[in-house]
Amino acid sequence: MTQHLTEHDVRGIAEYTRIGLTAEEVVAMTADLNAIIDSLSPITEYDLDGVEPTFHPIGDLSNVMRDDVERAGFTQETALMNAPRQEDGSFLIPSILGEGGDR
Amino acid sequence: MAATFGEMSVRQIQAGLAAREFSAAEVARATLERIGAADEAVHAFLQVTEDLALAAASRVDAAAAEGRLAELGPLAGVPVGYKDNMNLTGTRTTCSSNMLRDYVSPYTATCVQRTLDAGALPIGKLNMDEFAFGSSTETSAFGPTRNPWDLGRVPGGSSGGSAAAVAAGLVPVTLGSDTGGSIRQPGSFCGIVAVKPTYGVVSRYGVVAFGSSLDQVGPFARSVEDAALALNAIAGRDELDCTSQPCDVDFTANLAEGAAGLRVGVVPAFMEAAGLTAEVRAKVEEAASALEAAGAVLVDVELPHAQAAMSAYYVLGPCEAFSNLARFDSVRYGYCDPGHADLGSQYEASRERGFGPEARRRIMLGSYLLSAGVYDTYYYPAQQVRTLITRDYLDAFEKVDVILAPVAPRTAFKFGEIGDPTEMYLSDMFTISINIAGNGGMSMPVGLGADTGMPVGVQLIAPPFRDANMLRAAAALEQVFGPAPVAPAFADGKAGE
Repeated sequence: MTQHLTEHDVRGIAEYTRIGLTAEEVVAMTADLNAIIDSLSPITEYDLDGVEPTFHPIGDLSNVMRDDVERAGFTQETALMNAPRQEDGSFLIPSILGEGGDR
Repeated sequence: MAATFGEMSVRQIQAGLAAREFSAAEVARATLERIGAADEAVHAFLQVTEDLALAAASRVDAAAAEGRLAELGPLAGVPVGYKDNMNLTGTRTTCSSNMLRDYVSPYTATCVQRTLDAGALPIGKLNMDEFAFGSSTETSAFGPTRNPWDLGRVPGGSSGGSAAAVAAGLVPVTLGSDTGGSIRQPGSFCGIVAVKPTYGVVSRYGVVAFGSSLDQVGPFARSVEDAALALNAIAGRDELDCTSQPCDVDFTANLAEGAAGLRVGVVPAFMEAAGLTAEVRAKVEEAASALEAAGAVLVDVELPHAQAAMSAYYVLGPCEAFSNLARFDSVRYGYCDPGHADLGSQYEASRERGFGPEARRRIMLGSYLLSAGVYDTYYYPAQQVRTLITRDYLDAFEKVDVILAPVAPRTAFKFGEIGDPTEMYLSDMFTISINIAGNGGMSMPVGLGADTGMPVGVQLIAPPFRDANMLRAAAALEQVFGPAPVAPAFADGKAGE
């Protein structure tokens, strides 16, 4: 099997995708991802010179704007109904600036 | 015991309502009772929506009392279940993930709303592979669904609950979603009619996104007509999903036409594919002969790039999933790991504990494949391959009206039989190229495999927006093989004993 990714790479991807992984999970994930990436190799073996990509099955769509008329959206209460933590009508997160820590 | 409402067809329920043999409230209550008795063995339902079903039933009964039953729509009084990635206001929509364990829908998906507008009784939410990542429903955070034909086997996936509920005769109609085979493969494993329409036929608004250029919603039922009636209810343009297209087709219109003159493509390379079991191959050949005997013309067609679909899909799917699952931030909704003093560690712990292993794998794979340098090796070529696969289908459909193929290479496997992710991915080897090209495909049951005795479905593939072609061919097969039976252990009101 080709080593596409090292454990160091996998730790970097985990950090980027904001997924915590234990040391054992990094080992297992590295093996899994290398095996999956190996199985993708056929995609690298086609002669694709001059073939345009198709990014979407419906190709001839263009973006349209709806008429600028007032329409009800979520109320503040509805928007917050699934928030794990909220306060004073806002989503609550740990402090991200300076001192003070979590409220 | 008499046939339960879940074993009746849509038309039978509506005839009974029209003749006042029973009320919609009785349908709802009996269906809820039936699920209570039989679903312990199957575990198709994650949630039963009793209050919503009874409220919808009273609206149907009020209309019936005023003689307005016919005005209600194609699903009037019909119990319908929904895959748990479909929002329905006031219900939990979990995607079978700990990430959304407590998520309550603040709005209703268009496909669900359209069944309600058509008079359906919303009976509950159905189990699935976590975020639809899987082919067995074993990755559900809430435990697997069991195949009603053999409780030791998987129902397929990802829409395993949707398929099993219909196969066990708990409800006549359910909705599922299909990104690489997630409607058709469980439809085949559970022996029922399962339709993935052309991309753009059904709005995905309010359905939790997996692969946005691949996802499509469709119905499960035990007859072609019931599936067509459900498709009539949910199809068509929705201004909330810009990929949805206008659709004024009555999908029941040509079901009685038979197969005479129908040009049916057969792909020799599919029939010779490594991994295709003898019993499935025999059933596809039997279906081809049946169509030919009914007057269809069999034509060999080539799909030379279809074998590239697998690797293209496992590039495109994770890339789109990585992007779609970035929204789970533990702040606005979803699981939030408690007690973190900084946002970064809250993100990481919440996504670590909220997502299961397959979701984490696909997110990380997608991130890698889209990274600088790697993008040109996999993602861009995958989109070029998509062009070739799409052309293959368009060329084939110059010669034929519909293509006949296997759905899955084998019948339903036993729990735990397939542990390796890349081996599991092979479940979708015959279904994936259809999502890549965007055209319609469906699974039509044609009896039981000679070796395993488990249901086998054949796949009918239609040109883009000509989904009526495959429904017509399916109806012709139904003439020969009969409508899908309820799994024997659940027939006549039995509960899996």
